[in-house]
Amino acid sequence: MKTIPPPCPEPEVGPKYWRSLEQLADTPEFHQWVEREFPSGASEFTDPVSRRNFVKVMSASFLLAGLGATGCRRPTEKIYPFAKMPLNYTYGVPQYFATAMPSRRGATPLIVKSSEGRPIKIEGNPDFPDGNGGTDHITQASVLSLYDPDRAMRVRRNGSGDSRAAILDFLQSLGKSAGDGTGLAFLLEQSSSPSRDRLQQALTEKFPKAQWCLYEPVDLDAGRQAASLAYGSSVEPSYKLDQAQVIVSVDCDFIGSEQDAHGHIQRFTDGRTLNGKDDPMNRLYTVESLFTLTGLNSDHRLRVPPSMIVAVLARLALNVLKSSDIDQKLRELAAPAESHDAWIVPCAKDLVANAGKSLVLAGYRLPLAAHLLVTAMNDSLGAVNQTVEFHEAPKATGTTFPDLAAALNAGHVQTLIILGGNPAYNAPVDLNWPQAQAKAKTVVRLGYYEDETSWNAASHVDTQWDLPMAHYLESWGDVRTADGTVAPIQPLIDPLFGGITELEVLAAFGAMTPASPYEIVRETFRTLGGKSDDDWGKFLHDGFLAGSAAAKAASPQHNPAELASAINGLKASPAPTKDSLDVVFYRDAKMDDGRNNNNGWLQELPDPITKLTWDNAILLSPVTAQALGVFTNRNVQNQKFFNYRVELTVNGRTITGPIWVQPGLADNTVGLALGYGREKTGRVGTGTGFNAYKLRTTDTLYFASGATVKDLHDNSYELATTQSHWSMEGRPVVREANLAQYRKNPAFAKSMRPEMPPLNLPLYPNPLDTTKKNGLHQWGMSIDLNRCVGCSACMIACQSENNVPIVGKEMVGKSREMHWIRIDRYYSTPLGTSDEKEKGMEEPQAVVQPMLCQHCEAAPCENVCPVNATSHDDEGLNVMTYNRCVGTRYCSNNCPYKVRRFNFFDYNRRPLNHLYKSPLVTVTDGEWELLRWLKNPDKGNLPEDEWQLSRLVKNPDVTVRMRGVMEKCSLCLQRIEQAKIAAKVKARDSGDIRLSEAKGTVPKTACQQACPAGAIVFGDISDPKSTVTKLKAQERTYQVLDFLLTKPRTTYLARVRNPNQDMPDYKELPMPYTTKEYDSAKSGSLEEETSGKGEE
Amino acid sequence: MSDIFPKWTNRLPRNLIIGALLVGTAVTGGVTYYFTPKYTRVGYEPIQPVAFPHSVHVTQLGLDCRYCHNGVEKSWYSNIPATSVCMNCHNQVLKDDPRLAVVRESSATGQPIEWVQIHKMPDYVFFNHSVHVNRGISCVECHGHINHMDEVFHAKPLSMTFCLNCHRDPAMHVRPLDKITDLDWTVPHNTESDWKSQQLALGTKIVHDWHVQSLQNCSTCHR
Repeated sequence: MKTIPPPCPEPEVGPKYWRSLEQLADTPEFHQWVEREFPSGASEFTDPVSRRNFVKVMSASFLLAGLGATGCRRPTEKIYPFAKMPLNYTYGVPQYFATAMPSRRGATPLIVKSSEGRPIKIEGNPDFPDGNGGTDHITQASVLSLYDPDRAMRVRRNGSGDSRAAILDFLQSLGKSAGDGTGLAFLLEQSSSPSRDRLQQALTEKFPKAQWCLYEPVDLDAGRQAASLAYGSSVEPSYKLDQAQVIVSVDCDFIGSEQDAHGHIQRFTDGRTLNGKDDPMNRLYTVESLFTLTGLNSDHRLRVPPSMIVAVLARLALNVLKSSDIDQKLRELAAPAESHDAWIVPCAKDLVANAGKSLVLAGYRLPLAAHLLVTAMNDSLGAVNQTVEFHEAPKATGTTFPDLAAALNAGHVQTLIILGGNPAYNAPVDLNWPQAQAKAKTVVRLGYYEDETSWNAASHVDTQWDLPMAHYLESWGDVRTADGTVAPIQPLIDPLFGGITELEVLAAFGAMTPASPYEIVRETFRTLGGKSDDDWGKFLHDGFLAGSAAAKAASPQHNPAELASAINGLKASPAPTKDSLDVVFYRDAKMDDGRNNNNGWLQELPDPITKLTWDNAILLSPVTAQALGVFTNRNVQNQKFFNYRVELTVNGRTITGPIWVQPGLADNTVGLALGYGREKTGRVGTGTGFNAYKLRTTDTLYFASGATVKDLHDNSYELATTQSHWSMEGRPVVREANLAQYRKNPAFAKSMRPEMPPLNLPLYPNPLDTTKKNGLHQWGMSIDLNRCVGCSACMIACQSENNVPIVGKEMVGKSREMHWIRIDRYYSTPLGTSDEKEKGMEEPQAVVQPMLCQHCEAAPCENVCPVNATSHDDEGLNVMTYNRCVGTRYCSNNCPYKVRRFNFFDYNRRPLNHLYKSPLVTVTDGEWELLRWLKNPDKGNLPEDEWQLSRLVKNPDVTVRMRGVMEKCSLCLQRIEQAKIAAKVKARDSGDIRLSEAKGTVPKTACQQACPAGAIVFGDISDPKSTVTKLKAQERTYQVLDFLLTKPRTTYLARVRNPNQDMPDYKELPMPYTTKEYDSAKSGSLEEETSGKGEE
Repeated sequence: MSDIFPKWTNRLPRNLIIGALLVGTAVTGGVTYYFTPKYTRVGYEPIQPVAFPHSVHVTQLGLDCRYCHNGVEKSWYSNIPATSVCMNCHNQVLKDDPRLAVVRESSATGQPIEWVQIHKMPDYVFFNHSVHVNRGISCVECHGHINHMDEVFHAKPLSMTFCLNCHRDPAMHVRPLDKITDLDWTVPHNTESDWKSQQLALGTKIVHDWHVQSLQNCSTCHR
């Protein structure tokens, strides 16, 4: 039977999806780019190495091979057993400990896997009452920072090494001579640690005149401050997003950059779960100037410049608040937003109609008055105790950061103790912190890195001690989570480099007993009610103290007076123009405020929206970029994209950086991510991005106006983005519908399959036809696009679990990133008149889709492998046998999903900036690489410290792949095999070896475990009772590229939007159900767009 | 033309072919014999820091394998015992014997004894001891009759063929769980051919009752 080759179907089903402006513009360069297997020279050796050089290198290699052959015997290896057997330890069996990762004012309770004493994988604590085991990408990546070879490793006094004992003695003597604390100042980061509170209290009693300053460059605390003012007592709001039907987010990226985002994601997606067509679903409205993950997931999005946001909020308040609460000032504030009434009025109506089930949120960048306004709206909407609860919270007191800087400059501070943070890098630039810091006679600084705040000779400080801070996986401590529950931080490993904790420094300074951090935490736990050792043991075992959540504030009374006075202080700012741009400084999705700058996993993680790696950029909207003449007609050379660099001036301060044209950004607005452009950081972070803090002053912490852009006429800056890689060219890869359409036709996703399956047979045989009967289980995965918000936690979880290397900016630029799971972000433009299309480019909707190996049953990759390195097992996994792989890359060529990754270099053993250098010419640690290799051939040419430390984070259950090997998602094969082995060990001579979800023996994949939204579900599809079977039976289920008949084991649940019919941007998503309907739709307004495409 | 090509050149093609065949056979034979684990691994018997005779401890004294290798049922790895385990007996027995000086020193200083590794899997093979010994595969299947060895040597090739032979036909290799560490045990039998049929009968029953799988997927061992 002859199989007719498939024409490349190019159906414009649904909206037009596009991933980058190049694709939308449909340039020839873009076509060239996507039509390649690995775009942009990824598969070529374009390095200017001459033939002569090549022959030279090769002949030397042959010489070496000759030398090596003489040693063709098995090297003698030693086994070193214990001299004394430790208790409760079996070599090879991983151990799990409960701990918690502190965040600004909260914490994430964790279970950390330790293999042979090395913490290697972080998971959320699934037993924690307020969590589901999900985490965020920063938590997942924190284990890499533990093994960072650039960590601060020694105590230093004025730059030269000193001992740990010396600093502890010095702190004690400093404390003794501090008197009543005059001239003493502590600069701390926010923390929720009960122990730190206790020590701080004790020290305040001892040194009543000492100043305490909490400083966060990006302070996420505004919501608490506003609620405390409005309700007259110190309370903290906690949002019950799962209870809300209508959510309006005003510049609040609660899915991405707010405090406790993974908790918000969990609750938000709970309100969006569809198990049947009658399930309710929440609706999200977003008002924002940047394009954030929250905006991406919203049903309606209003794009306004930052100077307009307060006006829109005020306008919304006019329509929500009772008329008695509205004063003239509010009307004045709201006036500029009148033009947006078409959007605001129906949105407000929806809020009011759902009173008690609606919620308004304000983001950290907004002024306190805006938060007070939001508090008033929520109060008036009856949200209190329904969709928002208030918990009692400790009062925040202390000196403000500018006051501390002033006190330093005035010479009032002799002793400055900095615990954590990096003020010299991230303080508002007008405070001139490095100089202020140098005014103190003695500076003691505890920091994780030797960075900008560490001692430098130019600062002329009398004495500065720099102390290495312990990682949280090496420390004893305690924290409170967002809801106030106490959780322990317990160490999984001794401090690798003698790290010291905050608690130790404080205790030593006050000469307090007990002084050891363990005893301090134990003592605090006693005060919290844990008297007995059993309680303590349970606390450490569970990872939290049950029932210790903060008390709910009893019937809080809203006080409108605070609001009125705060609003009086607000003034409307003029709308931005192209010569006076608005600037937004935002917390970067990966670097945070710069603290994760030296973490390679996070540097290489594509930003959820821009998909940029290793850099930040000056974000501009397409219209603004065009107006400024720096539109993205990027310089395409050698198939690489280069960007314009511009000079951005705000209030007389200037930075230069590359332009990134970001669809969906408000016009005349510049987005600047903080956390890059570090002057002093480790080998990973050096040279990444530009420092946006240089434009940030005390008055313009988050917004600035009046910025100008000067074109430098230099378009040579390369930005490494993954957004155009692996493009899917308009096939119905993502399928979505509106809620109403879904209710009418729940199986819409299946009918969106273009009715042109020209294949009457699969292209490739299905090995499972014969072997399926041998398999005990049949593995499969279901991904709910309605739950996935694109947070990228899964990507880092996978990287951590599966030893996925980072490849560096240059390699990402060549499309050689190694992530086994990626989050595809597609912008979508409604199809319609050209006006609408134009608008669509300006205000696109966007969808995200996790893409990983689909584990096709009739897999195209397997049939082209000449060495059987990729094959099927009888449980339905498409497996890679690395030791068989010879690196032909045929499989990747033949993979329709583009999920296979090739090791172009030995990324695990070579420094990323030396990839192209031969070992014959490299010198590492002062030794010729060849000599190093002869001494120890296993050792890569990484510097010794990097080599020793980078090995520690590897998962011993997964092969570390070498150069020339193809790899891809294995559905966490190691976890499956271990679970099967555990079942067999338990079964012994019984036949009960089948894993079952009911018994809890089916493992979770790393991505599934990390997903706070619960979007990824893995399981046994041959078990009719398993969750994955039930999900796959849902009507929304579809297979990506199903017309190829590859029978993927990974299926998707189509996305459903819930737009409001009364909104101006409401649009039915076009959903042709049959080819005929599709054709007739096509002959209409779509004709000019699709003509000449999709026809063979 | 005979001026250019002397007569012997007529035989040259034949000789070349025969020669090539001979050389080819020799090379193939050499490689199959010398380059396989059967030659490179079997018989490897390094000198250990302590002359530990398994024959004495197991066969004469009747120690169970798991007294020392106590991780074997729980972990992928079968551990070499800690010095403290040796000293459980040897602080009483042969407490001044010079052959045990290294052990006593290790116990006193806390420094490990440096044993030389004999059995080693490549890094891309994920062998798991616990699942084998808990499911009817005796130590003897892979390690040979360690209970009779004075000094341990590599008895079986542990090549992929070796693994697959058993994985393809588990019935000929499984035994009751209480006989796992009884390395001399065989199914009761009279003659060699009787052993085969007896083992096959027992093995088939075990394979059926315990749901022993004949796992030959790549993913069974390579991850």
